[in-house]
Amino acid sequence: MKLSQKLKLGFAAQGEAARRPAHAAPPEEHTIDLRHEDDETLVTRAQRGEAAAFDVLVERYKERLYATVYHMTSNHEDANDLVQETFIKAYKSLNGFRGRSSFYTWVYRIAVNRTINFLKRRRNRNQYSLDDADSGIQTDPDFVELMSHVTPRREVGLNELQQRLNEALQKLSEPHRAVVTMHDVQGMTHADIAKVMKCSEGTVRSRLFYARQQLQALLSDYL
Amino acid sequence: MNCSKAQRLFDDLSRDRLPEQLSRELRQHLDDCTDCRVMEQRAARLQRLLALKRHEQPAPEYFHNFLNEFHNRLAETTERVGVWEGIIARMENALTVKPGHTWRYGFAGAMATVLAIGTVWMGVRQPGQPAAVTGPSAAARSPLTFASDVLPAPQSTPKSIAATLPAPSEIVPAGSVLIMPATSRAEPSTPRYMLDHIAITPASYEVATSVHF
Repeated sequence: MKLSQKLKLGFAAQGEAARRPAHAAPPEEHTIDLRHEDDETLVTRAQRGEAAAFDVLVERYKERLYATVYHMTSNHEDANDLVQETFIKAYKSLNGFRGRSSFYTWVYRIAVNRTINFLKRRRNRNQYSLDDADSGIQTDPDFVELMSHVTPRREVGLNELQQRLNEALQKLSEPHRAVVTMHDVQGMTHADIAKVMKCSEGTVRSRLFYARQQLQALLSDYL
Repeated sequence: MNCSKAQRLFDDLSRDRLPEQLSRELRQHLDDCTDCRVMEQRAARLQRLLALKRHEQPAPEYFHNFLNEFHNRLAETTERVGVWEGIIARMENALTVKPGHTWRYGFAGAMATVLAIGTVWMGVRQPGQPAAVTGPSAAARSPLTFASDVLPAPQSTPKSIAATLPAPSEIVPAGSVLIMPATSRAEPSTPRYMLDHIAITPASYEVATSVHF
């Protein structure tokens, strides 16, 4: 069989699976609530062509991936596109997933690599989305403390703070930004970040150290 | 503990990830060193500031349509894919899934293999010899053949040719060109000419000073 035919058949099969909504799964599978299955089981089922299993994985991780990508790009539209593309790539590459790492680490790695590539291409186009902080920030003790220290010289509003944070983060190199986002914003451990970025924990610590030094200089008004 | 080492451990100290002994040493250093104490306070404040970004979230309904959009996009990408698009998509996919340094190692390995094969090839081949053609079996296998294997051996030697010819001085005067037809060499081939002697008379288009008109 020609390569082109194989490709067409492969993608046609994936397209068929993609078009099939979760409720169109075979009747006997309706009885199993996939939402309570662990990642490994869901991946195995998805690899066998069960699209509903992959849907559960998408639902499970979309918000966490979105948050990471958003904090790296500072733009909601870009973040949405990148997360969608990440799940599409993950779905198409699912048969190549051998389970050497967890599904979450694997899909996270795809998202971070795609975002870093995207940021390298986008370098000169910075558009921030600034109107999205939730109401919880008003009661965050750190935000309250920050506002209580406001002096006439550094009056700071929520939007200004967001803008300054985003601008400062955008000045970091892409790998440094990724590490800061995963560690300081998302609260991931050094070991998990090292797995996602496929580097040593020492490299993660080093990147974090230099990124923070740069951020301290850029945000000295607030420190 | 010196300042440089201490400053790299602030993060672990704030998250209680240091062993008891190291934590005690670091705290002791912070009590003694004003610079590091200021640095530690600034680092902690920066961490709290960055953590505020967690509040930047889209509205809850933002994700309601996420799964449908995923299905639509997946269907679009699979419908419009052609042969080349498929190949390019797969290559891009592989590059995205695997980080860059994986491919660097692969490329380096491929180059090393090519270099090793080239070195072995050059080592096997002797200077002045045709490569890898030894013996009649090799000649039979090889598509290349040599003229000495195909052409017949010469029927006369240069000495026998010289014996049949008159002395050059008997045929042509000294200082002129001797052209000897190849037919005299008893070879049944097309006539060839051997240039044995060229009168050394440099050509010049300048008017000779000794010539008078």
